[in-house]
Amino acid sequence: MKWYAPVSIKQIAFGFLGTLLAMMILIAGFAAYQTHNVTLGLSQANHDAARAELAAAVERLLRRTESQADKLSHWDETRQQLVLPEYYVYWRDQRVYESGILPSRFTRTVLYTASGKLLASSPREHRFPTNLPAEVVSHEPHSWLAKDDGAIAMYQSFPVYSDEGRQVLLGVGLLRLDFLPELLRQVDFRFVNKDSVGLALQANESIPVSKLLSQLSFSARSDPDQSRFQSILSRTMLALFVLLTAAALVGYFIYNRLLERPLGWLSQEIDAMQHEHTSHPLARARPMRITELENIRRSLYNYQLQLRDLHGSLENQNREFHSQARQDALTGSHNRRAYEEDWTRFRKELKANPQGAAYLLFDCDRFKTINDTYGHAKGDRVLTIVANALTMALRANDRLYRLGGDEFATFLSNTTPTQAKQIAQRCQSLIDAAHFDDLEIREPIGVSIGIAFCSTENFEQADELPKQADIAMYTAKQPGRTRIALFGEDTERASQTLVASRETSALFQALATPGMIEMHYQPIFSLPGRKVDYYEALARIRHRGDLLMPDAFLPVISSRRLETEFDMAVLHQIDADISSQQLPPGIGISINISAQSISRPEVISHLMELSRHNARHPLMLEITETSLITQMNEVSTYLELLHTANFRIAMDDFGTGYSPLRYLVDLPVDVVKFDISLVNKLAEDNRAGQVVADFARMMGEVGYSLVAEGVESEVVLQKVESLGIAHAQGFLLGRPVSLATLAATLAEQNVALTVS
Amino acid sequence: MDTIVYAPAMRTFLLCLLTFGFPSWAHAEIAQLEMRPRIYASAEYLAGQRDKPAVLLLHGFLQTREFPTVATLARGLHDAGYAVLSPTLSLGIPNRRQSLACEAVHRHGMEDDLDEVARWIDWLKSRGHRSIVLVGHSFGSLQLLAYLNAKPDKSVQGFIGASLIETQIGSTSRPALIAQLEKPELSKNGALITQNLSLCKKYTSTPHGLLSYVRWDQARTLAAAKISTVKIQLIMGDADNMIEQNWIRSLQHIQIPLVVIPGANHFMDGENEFDLLEHTLVFLNHMDKAPTR
Repeated sequence: MKWYAPVSIKQIAFGFLGTLLAMMILIAGFAAYQTHNVTLGLSQANHDAARAELAAAVERLLRRTESQADKLSHWDETRQQLVLPEYYVYWRDQRVYESGILPSRFTRTVLYTASGKLLASSPREHRFPTNLPAEVVSHEPHSWLAKDDGAIAMYQSFPVYSDEGRQVLLGVGLLRLDFLPELLRQVDFRFVNKDSVGLALQANESIPVSKLLSQLSFSARSDPDQSRFQSILSRTMLALFVLLTAAALVGYFIYNRLLERPLGWLSQEIDAMQHEHTSHPLARARPMRITELENIRRSLYNYQLQLRDLHGSLENQNREFHSQARQDALTGSHNRRAYEEDWTRFRKELKANPQGAAYLLFDCDRFKTINDTYGHAKGDRVLTIVANALTMALRANDRLYRLGGDEFATFLSNTTPTQAKQIAQRCQSLIDAAHFDDLEIREPIGVSIGIAFCSTENFEQADELPKQADIAMYTAKQPGRTRIALFGEDTERASQTLVASRETSALFQALATPGMIEMHYQPIFSLPGRKVDYYEALARIRHRGDLLMPDAFLPVISSRRLETEFDMAVLHQIDADISSQQLPPGIGISINISAQSISRPEVISHLMELSRHNARHPLMLEITETSLITQMNEVSTYLELLHTANFRIAMDDFGTGYSPLRYLVDLPVDVVKFDISLVNKLAEDNRAGQVVADFARMMGEVGYSLVAEGVESEVVLQKVESLGIAHAQGFLLGRPVSLATLAATLAEQNVALTVS
Repeated sequence: MDTIVYAPAMRTFLLCLLTFGFPSWAHAEIAQLEMRPRIYASAEYLAGQRDKPAVLLLHGFLQTREFPTVATLARGLHDAGYAVLSPTLSLGIPNRRQSLACEAVHRHGMEDDLDEVARWIDWLKSRGHRSIVLVGHSFGSLQLLAYLNAKPDKSVQGFIGASLIETQIGSTSRPALIAQLEKPELSKNGALITQNLSLCKKYTSTPHGLLSYVRWDQARTLAAAKISTVKIQLIMGDADNMIEQNWIRSLQHIQIPLVVIPGANHFMDGENEFDLLEHTLVFLNHMDKAPTR
């Protein structure tokens, strides 16, 4: 489990904004704190400045007053008044001001005699003491403050001497000024609040100037710079807050427009792609302003296009693959896979909607021989022509399936047995009308058609239709048939159905299980002595106690292309029989090998291995003449090799296949076995019998050792002997018997076989 | 008219005199006299050679002995070996040390000034000076001339009046002003009169004091100079714009020894200080023949 959960980009944005807001609040708080400190400092500094300013103002007033007193003290006219006071009032009220010694009438001065008496009393001087205190009437100036008549006055005394040596005191002058108005008037205070300046004195109370500052009360004027600073700071903080807020909103808007929304689009686009909604790429319709996102969008768009192209290509390929996977590459008809799917669907539909249904199984007659004789290329062309003819013959909605090799099938819905037969006949007609001349194939090419039908009432038997059609097919292939057979019309064929099915199963089981193939040995007699010369090994399949004969399983081998596997199994069994040493030494064994197997290296290898028995049991290979040998050179080479390994080569079933003369010429054949059809001709006293007789005589004369197969009557045997044929084989002379029976018989007769 | 022409060699001598001086008698003394009860006046006394007449040097209107023209001339005369007494008239003020403002209460008059001159002459005589030459500047010349016209002491042998000026009253009719000031009720009321007087636009004074000055018009001044019994020498500047335009011509008409310094203004400052000193010394040299003690 992850310790974190994924967050959306919007949450990140809100987190950033929240952090920014928190930082703003912190900064604002810090700024407010700093501002408070600065304000306190400024207030203290302002108060100190006010105190200093007030002290300076007081000092300046004192100095000014002292200066005025000093000037008056040394002024000639002051001395004049103390000596000749007749015009003292004029001096006091006018001269002191006209002379500029006293700046205004807020400051007044009076003179006292040396004894401290007021020089001239008048109502205007009622605030001045009539008599100066003794301590004031001294040689030193005095200054003090007193509250009189409700006002605070500052007094400054100054002695007036007659001479420069300050020996003769003429009198004492006294300056009086209204302290606070004079103090506040002289200076345009910057730091001191004028209205706050006060001096608490009781009525008639006086204090020396030295205590003035300590008793002055005042308050500092609010510093305009400080107020301006605070105002500017507040406005700045507010503007900064508004600006940052606006910037945050604009930033979020831009962030939303440039990043979040495009990313959302991209995310939606990717989701849509994930859900295969790629029909309309949004990324193409909305170009993005962020280069990287635009690159991503373009990449995504290109990826979408490529994906769509790829998707389309894949769909096409899938369709093509689907088609190819269900189409036979050679004939263009549907293949086995399509057959399986369509057959399953067909059965479901049939069960869901019961109706008459037919299953047609087509098989090319003698196609194997044609293929072997004319080569695969022409065989393939034959199949193509056949498939085209069948397709044309079928109804529009019917499909033709190639089940394998030359076997085709189709199933017809909503049909009747008659209609099915008509279609089958149309197929044969079109094939018969097909032009195979271009292929230079002279043999007639046709198809055998097995038909199975189930009516509406027994549609549940539809699963049995292929097997029934297969049975019907073999029925159709039987000689004398019209090559079209409908299952069910012949009960006999119904039983064959079971056999065919059993033999097929038995064949595959025998190929997989050693020992199931049982070899029976039929004696071949030398003529005219009629003594057993060697035995032909004939394969049987022991299945559930029954012994299946070659007529039952050879068609299956041929249709399933199992010749090589079967031959290998037979060779294994013969090797086992010989190795069991149940046969006395000197008894030759003739082995049947198909033409297809003689060109297979594994078969040749096994034969070479089997050649070790040649010293004890001479071995002969019988090549079926009906097999079309296409790779003549290779077969010839292999037969030469086997010939070197002391195998004798026999041409089996001579007279039933193709190009027998060519085989005799090109292959190292030692023995020619006349087919039973030719041997039977010998019994006929007509031209055919004469031809066969002459042919046999001629073969003997050129050195071929002849074997007459299928000798089943004394007449035929005698004819064979008369023709000089060296060997005869048939039920008349001896039936095939099992190894055990043969070994027992030989043991009883104690007959010593003669090795030819 | 005796016009004394000075030579450049004399000026050089005076310059050396001012520069190096005569240390043997070079000391100053402040003398003080109680002119009236509790009203003291002071004078600077610079001792000189005993064979030379003493000089009483009087400052101008409302000035003190510190006035530059007077102070410079005093140092020059003293440097030349003359004893110089430079009083500062009290003008009714104890130990007056500053020039008195025009608007101040002036309770003094010509008689008070003459009394103080007489007191200082007596003081010089008390110091053994038998021959005294009065030297005044501007209004001081008028005051000394008034002294000579009233009751001059016999020891006074000569008078030098530099930038002599009469009592000017502006555009006011002098007879009418005199008549008004002579009204007895005016003095009884103790009123102060403000009048254009000499250099003052608002000279504030008692009627009596003012009247004592106003009486000294050009005619009385010329007459006083003419009838003076001592040797007299007037030194005027032809660039003096404080005096009436015809004043020098008037002086020349009465044939009083007069020296007119070209380019000199009323205060004879600058290089004219030397001219003033030179002419003063020339006059004093003539006085040297008389015994001083």
